[in-house]
Amino acid sequence: MELVLFDGFNGLIQGAFYALMALGLSLIISLNSVINFAHGGFMVVGAYLAFALAPYLGFWGALIAGPVLTGILGILVERFLVRYLYARPDPVYSLLLTFGLALIIEDSVRSVWGAGGVPFAIPSWLDSPVSETYFFITGYRVFVMSAITLAAGALFAFLRLSRFGVRIRAGILDLETVAALGVNVYLLRAVNFAIGIALAGFAGVLAAGVLQLSPTMGNDVIMATFVAIVVGGIGSLFGSVLGGLLIGLAAGVTSAYYPVASDVVIYVIMAIVLIVRPRGLLGQEGLFE
Amino acid sequence: MSAVLRAQDLHTYYGKSHILHGVSIEVAEGELVTLLGRNGAGKTTTLRSLVGLTPARQGRVELFGHDTTHWPAHKISRLGVGYVPEGRKIFSNLTVLENLSVPVSRPGRWTIERIFELFPNLGERRSSWGRQLSGGEQEMLAIARALLINPKLLLLDEPSQGLAPLLVREVFRTISSMRKEGISILLVEQNARFGLDVADRVYVMNDGEVVHSGCARELAQDEEQVRAFAGAESRAAVG
Ligand SMILES: Nc1ncnc2c1ncn2[C@@H]1O[C@H](COP(=O)(O)OP(=O)(O)OP(=O)(O)O)[C@@H](O)[C@H]1O
Ligand SMILES: [Mg+2]
Repeated sequence: MELVLFDGFNGLIQGAFYALMALGLSLIISLNSVINFAHGGFMVVGAYLAFALAPYLGFWGALIAGPVLTGILGILVERFLVRYLYARPDPVYSLLLTFGLALIIEDSVRSVWGAGGVPFAIPSWLDSPVSETYFFITGYRVFVMSAITLAAGALFAFLRLSRFGVRIRAGILDLETVAALGVNVYLLRAVNFAIGIALAGFAGVLAAGVLQLSPTMGNDVIMATFVAIVVGGIGSLFGSVLGGLLIGLAAGVTSAYYPVASDVVIYVIMAIVLIVRPRGLLGQEGLFE
Repeated sequence: MSAVLRAQDLHTYYGKSHILHGVSIEVAEGELVTLLGRNGAGKTTTLRSLVGLTPARQGRVELFGHDTTHWPAHKISRLGVGYVPEGRKIFSNLTVLENLSVPVSRPGRWTIERIFELFPNLGERRSSWGRQLSGGEQEMLAIARALLINPKLLLLDEPSQGLAPLLVREVFRTISSMRKEGISILLVEQNARFGLDVADRVYVMNDGEVVHSGCARELAQDEEQVRAFAGAESRAAVG
C-alpha cells in the first residue's frame, strides 16, 4: 500500500511537470503553428540557469530569474528563427529547425557545464519530509506541486481575464481575422512563444531540485509531453493538464506493480485514447469550453 | 470629393493561381460602393488584397493617401479600416464580450456601451459563447467588432449571406445608418436588389476583372444587365 502511495505521489509530481510542459508546448503549437521539439531543451536551459544563478541570487532569486531569462531566450529564438517558419506551413521545416535547435541546446549545455549531472541545492527547510509515515512527501515536493498549480492558474487567468490573453485565444482560432482587427499578430506570437518557453524554463528550475541536472534531462520529458498533449486533445489547454497528470500518475502506479512497463504505459494509454476518442479527451472542445 | 480608397491594377495570387487580373476600384469619402459578381469572380480576394490579408503582387493600394500595398493587416486596420469577413469569422471559442475586446480601438464614438445600445441582442447575450449565437446575431457581432475600430472605411463581405429576409433588411438598415454617420463603405453583395438599392456606385466583377462600373441606380433599372452580370441569384431578387 505504502509503495503504491509512494509511486502514485511520484507519478503525480511527474505528471505535474508533464502538464506544465504540455501547457507551454500546447500554446506554441496552437498559435505559432510550430511543433517545438526543442521544448525539452528549454527546460534544461531553465534548470542550468537556475543552477548557475543560485549562488548569486539564492534559491528564490534563481526561481524567478531562470524562467525569465529562458523566456527572453525564447523571444530571441522566435525573432530570429521561428518567425521564418510562419510562411512555411509544411511541418517538415518546423521539425527540422526545432530538432536542430534541441541538439544545439543540449551540446551547448554540455560544453558549458559538462556532461555529468550536477546537484542543485534547495533550502534545507524545504527538503525535509512533512511527516514521518509519508517520508516521500518532502516539503519541496509539496512546494513543487503548489508552484505548478499556481503557474497553471496564473496562465489560465491571464488567458481568460487580460485583453492580450483573449487575443491569444482568438488568434489560436483565426489569426487572420485577429490581424484584420488591428492586432499586431507578430507581437502576439512572439509573446506567446516566450510565455510557452518561460513555462518550460520554470519546469526546469523546479525539476532541478528534484532530479539530478543533466544535459539530456529534457529528452525524457519531451516525448511524455507530446503524449500528454495528444491524450488531452490538441488545442485544449485543460486537456494538456489532464493528459499530463493522467500519464504521470499511470506511469507512477505502473512502476509499483509492474516496473518494466512503466515507460511503455503512457504510449498504451495514448493508443487507447486515440482509438476510443481520436481527438483526445478534451479535443473537440476549443479552449476553456 | 477625395478618394479614401484607390486600388489600381491589382494582380493577386493564391500560390501560383493568378486570381485578380488588374482590378481597379475607388471609394470616395462618404460613398457607399457595391461590388457585385458571380461566385468565384474574385470579390473576396479583392477585399483581402485591400486589407492586407492577401497582398497584391502587382498594382497599388492607396488608403487615405498612404501606399498600403504591402502593409501588414494590423497597420491597415489601424488607419481606420474595418473589415467584416465573408462567413463572419466570429471567434466561436470566445464570449460575445470577449469577441468585442479583440479589436484594437481607435479613439472615436464607438464604444462597447454604444454597440449594446445599437444591438440590444448582443448586450443580452454578452456572456454567451460565440458559437451559441444565431446567424443573425453572429453577423451583428461581426459588424460590431469592426465598428469598435472606429473605422473611416468599412469593408463588408456578403453580410446578408444565409440570413432570413427580415434579418437581411435589418443588416441593410444598419449599413445605411453607418453610412449616415459618415463612414465610407465598400460592400460585396450577391443580393443585387439590396446591393444596388443602398449604393451610390457599383462595380461588377467577373473572372478576376472589373467588367462594369457606374451609377448604381442606372444599373438597377436595367434588369437584363443585372441578370447578365450578377448571375442566377439576382434573378429572383430583381424579378
Ligand atoms: N485560398 C485559396 N486558394 C486558391 N484559390 C482560391 C482560394 N480562395 C479562393 N480561390 C479562388 O479564387 C477565385 C476567386 O475567389 P473569391 O473567393 O475571391 O470569389 P468571390 O467572388 O468572393 O466568390 P463568392 O461569391 O463565392 O464568395 C475562385 O476561383 C476561387 O476558387
Ligand atoms: Mg466571396
